[in-house]
Amino acid sequence: MTAWSRRGFLHGMLLGGGALTLAACGGGGGQALRISHADQTGALAANLYITVLATGRVALIVNKAEIGQGVSTGYATLVADELGVPIDHVDVHYAGSNSEMRTSANLQLTGGSTSTAEAFVPLRRAAAAAREMLIAAAAAQWKVPASDLVAVDGHVVRGADRLPFGELTKHAAQLGVPDSPRLKTAKEFTLIGKVSRRVDIRPKITGAAVFGIDVQVPNMVNAFAIHGPVFGAKPITVKSDAAKQRPGVIAVVAFDWGVAVVAEKFWQARAAAADVEVTWDAGHVAGLDTQVMQKAMREHTGKGLVSKDDGDAGKAIEHAEVVVSGVYEAPYLAHATLEPQNATASVTGDRCEIWAPSQSPTLAQAYVADALGIGMDDVNVHITLCGGGFGRRSVGDVCAQAAQISRAVKRPVKLIWTRESDMTQAYYRPVYAVKVEGALRSGKVTGARVMSRSQSILLSSKKFLGAALSQLPGAMAGMVGDAALALFSTGSFGDLIASEGMANSPYQFGNFELATELVQTRLPVSFWRSVGNSVTGFVMEGLIDELCVAANQDPFTLRRSILPATGKQARVLDALEKLSGWATPPPHGIARGMARHFAFDTEVAQVAEVELVAGRIKVRRVFCVVDCGVPVNPGIIKSQMEGAIIFGLSAAL
Amino acid sequence: MKLVVNGKDVEVEVPADTPLLWVLREEVGLTGTKFGCGKALCGACTVHVDGAPKRSCVTACGTVAGKPITTIEGLANGAELHPVQQAWLEENVPQCGYCQAGQIMTAVVLLKAKPQPTDAEIDDAMSANLCRCGTYPRIRKAVHRAAELLAAGGAK
Repeated sequence: MTAWSRRGFLHGMLLGGGALTLAACGGGGGQALRISHADQTGALAANLYITVLATGRVALIVNKAEIGQGVSTGYATLVADELGVPIDHVDVHYAGSNSEMRTSANLQLTGGSTSTAEAFVPLRRAAAAAREMLIAAAAAQWKVPASDLVAVDGHVVRGADRLPFGELTKHAAQLGVPDSPRLKTAKEFTLIGKVSRRVDIRPKITGAAVFGIDVQVPNMVNAFAIHGPVFGAKPITVKSDAAKQRPGVIAVVAFDWGVAVVAEKFWQARAAAADVEVTWDAGHVAGLDTQVMQKAMREHTGKGLVSKDDGDAGKAIEHAEVVVSGVYEAPYLAHATLEPQNATASVTGDRCEIWAPSQSPTLAQAYVADALGIGMDDVNVHITLCGGGFGRRSVGDVCAQAAQISRAVKRPVKLIWTRESDMTQAYYRPVYAVKVEGALRSGKVTGARVMSRSQSILLSSKKFLGAALSQLPGAMAGMVGDAALALFSTGSFGDLIASEGMANSPYQFGNFELATELVQTRLPVSFWRSVGNSVTGFVMEGLIDELCVAANQDPFTLRRSILPATGKQARVLDALEKLSGWATPPPHGIARGMARHFAFDTEVAQVAEVELVAGRIKVRRVFCVVDCGVPVNPGIIKSQMEGAIIFGLSAAL
Repeated sequence: MKLVVNGKDVEVEVPADTPLLWVLREEVGLTGTKFGCGKALCGACTVHVDGAPKRSCVTACGTVAGKPITTIEGLANGAELHPVQQAWLEENVPQCGYCQAGQIMTAVVLLKAKPQPTDAEIDDAMSANLCRCGTYPRIRKAVHRAAELLAAGGAK
């Protein structure tokens, strides 16, 4: 365990530094705090995120949730490389709720594939500043110019002379924070770009890792949630006398969302829940089922908002020799994180402490504040490891339920959902129904038209995004919040999330029209791994595939005909063609297909080899090429793609 | 009743039909064994009872009283990892990590029965341990690596 104390962290939190940019801490509160912290601990608390301890270890606050995507390793790599320490000198801690740490959209949020891109420069800048402060301290001690010194392996080095960081921290803390520290060039990277071991493996293979479901706090009790047979069903009657007699049971409490059985131990709550009899109302999504939804989506006649209108797609289709068309549909989809939903809450008076596997401390604060009728600032969220996220953990519904139970029983409560609740309590990937039309003339693609109907994620979380937005400082807060919400509500926004992957498609159709119509139900939806792209990739590539068949053209050839001849798309297609051995026909009985997609600044293309075995589709091999820009850890990128391919296949098959 | 967990005797006061999973997590204090489904469908709760893999979420603890139970916490020898754990480390297997205890416990038993398993034998033995992050290709690689380490006389 490190010698870096929680108190030191809290102290470090008070230092200036803003978002991820290293604001100057010259003079005034920031510098004074940094110096006094060093006087007490000997440590250099360089900014909100990085503290170099007198032991030489580096405490790094990762302002994201580790959901398996490897952000702990990624951020530790960026810092270790820029600071000049071996990566195993870095101890990762996860940021809890902290209004000073809000980044994109004024939220603390892990999502949108933003973590690495968001931090690549600012986090390195923070590390570089700390490095320069340590070098400056050594330079002063040795009475030599700082430019003579380098930071390597946790030491400041000048020829044969070395000073370990730990011996410099107290002095370095007295110095000013450099405004524009020098960042390493790519040639100087020692860790960035290399396949190195993930930093969080050991606890995950020894059973030591603490996920939300493993949290223990003093005086804690456990709650088993009984949810209704459909989402939104409210309990009408609750018979709990028998349950309350069971050993360990403290209370059986009904809420709008269901019934909580609270006991000293979870196994007691679970056993007692079998004795609870609940009758339910039909809930506010009564009458909505898969068939009703599908029919409604197919028959919906709203024309939506045209967000792309290049040339005249209508004319191109009218004058086409061949038109391909179809409707692509995608169902509601659960995330099914392997760790079921859970949260631990402790309510005292008008304050609430939360421990949760959450992808957004801010949204957790907003949901809890709303449920308890308290201020967001009165909710303090601690982030644990997440046994899978995939977007489900951005939603604060479980935290809110745990908080309500804690308030009712006046003790800290760990709430654990069953797998059944996890699969049935909404916040799914939205339904989609997308009509596509493609035009061919003389074997060439002359245009395409897409009419997309889907449910809006932003509207589902309107209330809570509003709460988060309203925390913006200054008089602008209310105005900005209202304006943003008005955009979301009227649908005039064209919901960028719903159309991502189509609106920004690099295909040059010549004539292209995209319209999006938002169809709302009262079943809330949320971000699901890759969000809009998980459906729009299917839609766009399905359209292209149909054009290939209609034009009798090879999938690479046709795509090349409507993509720029040079650039990311071209490079990735070339690499994939080679990697997959596309030029060589597949063996008898094996079929091949390819698809490509651009999302989050990343181009991906894949070939799948498929066979039919006893009437069932069996995917034998998938070839994958990724261009994501500068890779921080290619091994993790590979892991992510392997996992994503399997995740996608799971959903598709 | 007396349970024997990772070589130690533990007295627990629970009804005999309480699932072993929750007894381990809440009465013995070992949280490495995970709850994923409660219906023996995912394998996150896999432990060894008498050397055989058992899904502890559906195992009544009364049925295993007195029998040697091994959990993920009992695999390593102090700081020295079990060869299967060592292989998992070398192959960078875990992503979120939640399923991995169950995966490792299942792999240990597989390798005892089949010291040099083929891909098909790995698939057969381990496909019922679910991983939402999709680490299956790396799990397979790590099982082969563990086979190498075990053949060479254990992890270094």
